[in-house]
Amino acid sequence: MLELINLNLYIKDKILFKDLNLKINKGEVHVLMGKNGVGKSSIAKIIMGDNNYKVEGIIKYNGQDITNLSIYERAKLGIYLLNQTPIQIEGVTNAEMLRVALSEKTGKPVDIFAFNKELENICEKLELDKSFIHREINVGCSGGERKKIELLHMWLLKPSLIILDEIDSGLDVDAIKLVAKSIKEYANTYKPAIIIITHSSTLINTFTDFQVHVLDHQKIVVNGNKKLAEKVLKNGFKNLNIEHLL
Amino acid sequence: MNKILVSDIIDLESGSYILNLKNKDITLNIDGNVTGYLIDELIDNLIINLKDASTFNLYIFNKCYQNNSIIKINQFNYSNINLNMAYINNDNVNVVINNNIYGNNNNSKINVRNISNNDNSKIIINVKVDKNTSNNIALEDLKGINNGGLVHIEPNIEVYSNEVVANHLTTIGSLDKDSLNYLMSKGINMNLAKEILLKGFIYSNMDDYITKMGGDNNA
Repeated sequence: MLELINLNLYIKDKILFKDLNLKINKGEVHVLMGKNGVGKSSIAKIIMGDNNYKVEGIIKYNGQDITNLSIYERAKLGIYLLNQTPIQIEGVTNAEMLRVALSEKTGKPVDIFAFNKELENICEKLELDKSFIHREINVGCSGGERKKIELLHMWLLKPSLIILDEIDSGLDVDAIKLVAKSIKEYANTYKPAIIIITHSSTLINTFTDFQVHVLDHQKIVVNGNKKLAEKVLKNGFKNLNIEHLL
Repeated sequence: MNKILVSDIIDLESGSYILNLKNKDITLNIDGNVTGYLIDELIDNLIINLKDASTFNLYIFNKCYQNNSIIKINQFNYSNINLNMAYINNDNVNVVINNNIYGNNNNSKINVRNISNNDNSKIIINVKVDKNTSNNIALEDLKGINNGGLVHIEPNIEVYSNEVVANHLTTIGSLDKDSLNYLMSKGINMNLAKEILLKGFIYSNMDDYITKMGGDNNA
């Protein structure tokens, strides 16, 4: 589904990653771990098409070379990034944005009745007040509400690759559980590929089977599974003896 | 909401009014709690006199503004003016707002949003608080987007009294890149994303009007 092939990644002429390779198939869950500042979020952004980065190498999605595609084109292909700090947009409601986005996706005018009904059902599932549908995007919202609103967008737009960039940061215990439950339910329903960037266990423990990649020194230094994640979360990165692995 | 045709001088008592202007030089005398909407109306000279203990919420919206306007607001005691003005200009435009506060315990909030699609838009806001007055509040929130044209804003507050809260916020820029990327990351193409953001920028100042007209930005 998604392939990063021999990627060199730069920001303002500073190299972030060298010869990065990663393959993620439909329905798989991959967890990116690493110390703060190692570049995990940068990987999320280049997959989404952020043009602040310079990319050498190839990014493929469903066999198509998407390296030079815009954010919009990638989103249309089904790539979706859930940010750790979703921005707010004054004067634009969630309903208005989603109506346009859905119409762009399907190429048809949106059936307003069905659209509203679906949004209301999703809100119920996310324990999000229905008034958020017609409120300005993330304006005056708490961190937890913003994450739920992003999930509302995701459920409606039904992407096939979801990148969760520290979506669990800044959430209280109940909110993390609800977010994790919602993502698990989405995964079971639509079988997307999922990339999780996280420093905590709640979200990844929702999944029984996933692959883990630890990033450091401008590359993936260790690959593993749930046991590796447990080891990192218990003992930190120092005990992986990364210097020895280089 | 009442629709009324306004010519020359009119007294407005408590209520909500859509104001249709018969001519471009108008005086509004406000008595009570009044909300007024001037939608796609061209104004040359608008004078607003607020009687004591009155509140006037005025919404001015022009989709395609090509005019020179002077708005004069006179406040005496215990009055509130909330002026929300939003317009898009495709030609040279000059807007001058003179707000004079002569007495005590008045609130003045002036919010302006302008998108300049072509040529220049010049907005001058002068709020003057007289000497020997007290407990007045004067706030200006003025934002412009250069979208092919140029916005020029002069936020002036002249205060001759020690007992006043006065503040002004002015920003002029282009469309926010992060907001554009955000909308595009939801699968919205760049032109539509720009359109949505520009509309949102203008409508963020007109939320009351939009709510009354049907509750959505498509109004």
